[in-house]
Amino acid sequence: MNEAIAVLSPNRVISKKTIRWLVGFQLLMLFFVWLFSPTVFLPKPREVFQALGEMWVEGLGGELITSFYLNLEAIALSTLLSLLLAYLTVIPFFRPIVALLSKLRFLSMVGLTFFFTLMAATGHELKLFLLVFSVSVFFVTGMAEVVASIPKEKFDLARTLRMGEWRVVWEVVVLGQADKAFEVLRQNAAMGWMMLTMVEGISRSEGGVGAMLLNQNKHFHLSAVFAIQLTILVLGLAQDYAIGLLRKIFCPYADLTLERA
Amino acid sequence: MAASYTYGKTLLKVEDVSLEYDGRPILKRVSAEIKDIIRSDRVQGQVVGFLGPSGIGKTQLFRIIAGLNKPTSGRVTINGEDRPVQAGEVGVVAQNYPLFEHRTVISNLLLAAKQKEKDDKVAHDKVVQYLNDFDLIDKARLFPAQLSGGQRQRCAIIQQILCSDHFLLMDEPFSGLDLLMLEKTSELIQKVANMDELNTIIVVTHDVTAAAAVADHLWLMGRDHDAGGKPLPGSHIVETYDLIERDLCWHPQIITQPRFIEFVREVKERFRSL
Repeated sequence: MNEAIAVLSPNRVISKKTIRWLVGFQLLMLFFVWLFSPTVFLPKPREVFQALGEMWVEGLGGELITSFYLNLEAIALSTLLSLLLAYLTVIPFFRPIVALLSKLRFLSMVGLTFFFTLMAATGHELKLFLLVFSVSVFFVTGMAEVVASIPKEKFDLARTLRMGEWRVVWEVVVLGQADKAFEVLRQNAAMGWMMLTMVEGISRSEGGVGAMLLNQNKHFHLSAVFAIQLTILVLGLAQDYAIGLLRKIFCPYADLTLERA
Repeated sequence: MAASYTYGKTLLKVEDVSLEYDGRPILKRVSAEIKDIIRSDRVQGQVVGFLGPSGIGKTQLFRIIAGLNKPTSGRVTINGEDRPVQAGEVGVVAQNYPLFEHRTVISNLLLAAKQKEKDDKVAHDKVVQYLNDFDLIDKARLFPAQLSGGQRQRCAIIQQILCSDHFLLMDEPFSGLDLLMLEKTSELIQKVANMDELNTIIVVTHDVTAAAAVADHLWLMGRDHDAGGKPLPGSHIVETYDLIERDLCWHPQIITQPRFIEFVREVKERFRSL
């Protein structure tokens, strides 16, 4: 009874068991809303799962692998590039450059496709460039903010321990913010999946789940569209979980002071 | 009766330190000196209480003594060396006891020990010794976020002792403590000071009673006033109290004695006039 009240009260910590019940209940509710929705254009669960089965036979699995590797490649490159740029903001010379790069997140992909096409030698490269650009401009913004908000006392602590300035950067900025870097990565890696469909639509030579989705959408096969979206969501959740797990393994201290740890 | 003692070499010297910020004087020709107190019968470290009203520039001087900031003119020297102090030579224990949150207690301490001691085995043994001395050995594998306030304070102190050259600056160590914790902190400061003849602790605080109870000297920082009583810009150490000379230190129950209470009243009175 107390837990039931806690679920509806502000700032209450509830047990893991209750959270599981809560998630299960809400998913069930969502499923029922979907099942009994009067909207004509919303395909029913049975139709979606049927479409999923058909597409699986048609090679959805293979397309997923193609997209997954492309996304993984893009995330890895974006992470490397963004972290490097964000860490470089410790040097005043790079701050305006990084600030400018972070402003590029306002630009539309459509206007940039031509320039990336000129730079890329293959369709794969073009997709990779587009994805890396799209993710990095957000990733670098988040991570540069993390670096800028490190309190002065952390730097002072390192200096009082006789560390040179590069060692201070390693200890305070790189190691000290590793948990936050994982968090920024987790948030921005999701962006990869969001952009993937658009990017795979631009260059369809390799196929991929995005190209498949655009084809189904073009022919107004809504059940198939929903089935692909559902598959992307499951993969995205798995990716989110994996990054969260890595954060827990490498940064076990990260959530120690949180109320909802 | 005052214990017999003599003064040895100068350990820390603040020489005519001035600091301006945007052309506005913050510190004006601050001078002070800490000498080694020698007692024949025991190891005696030095504890200086550094008092002053809020906004007087204590933190600025604190940072200059720690080598974290450079003064506009003047310098701070340690151990008689003819060069300004460098960051790391004077340990700093800040008010909220910062530690590297991504490292465990032992990792925080080993990091500090290895900065000074090149032999890993010696550094490790030293850290274990301190962990035992300060009752932290069972907390060695915990992260700072898992420590209590007192444990965190001790860990921060050990970290700085391991790395500095006998000097420790403590910023408001008595702030927000209950009576029991205040006594424990005072004992801890004296324990650390008396671990080595050259150990020197400067305690920056607003708490006159706690500072007087733990220190052998008090520095009082303030500003001069013009004829109209208006404070002039730029503060300096306006008063230095030698508590050994007054026979007010190294007595276990000194804080209960009328002459101590009278002394605290005198300092507080002077404090109010700053």
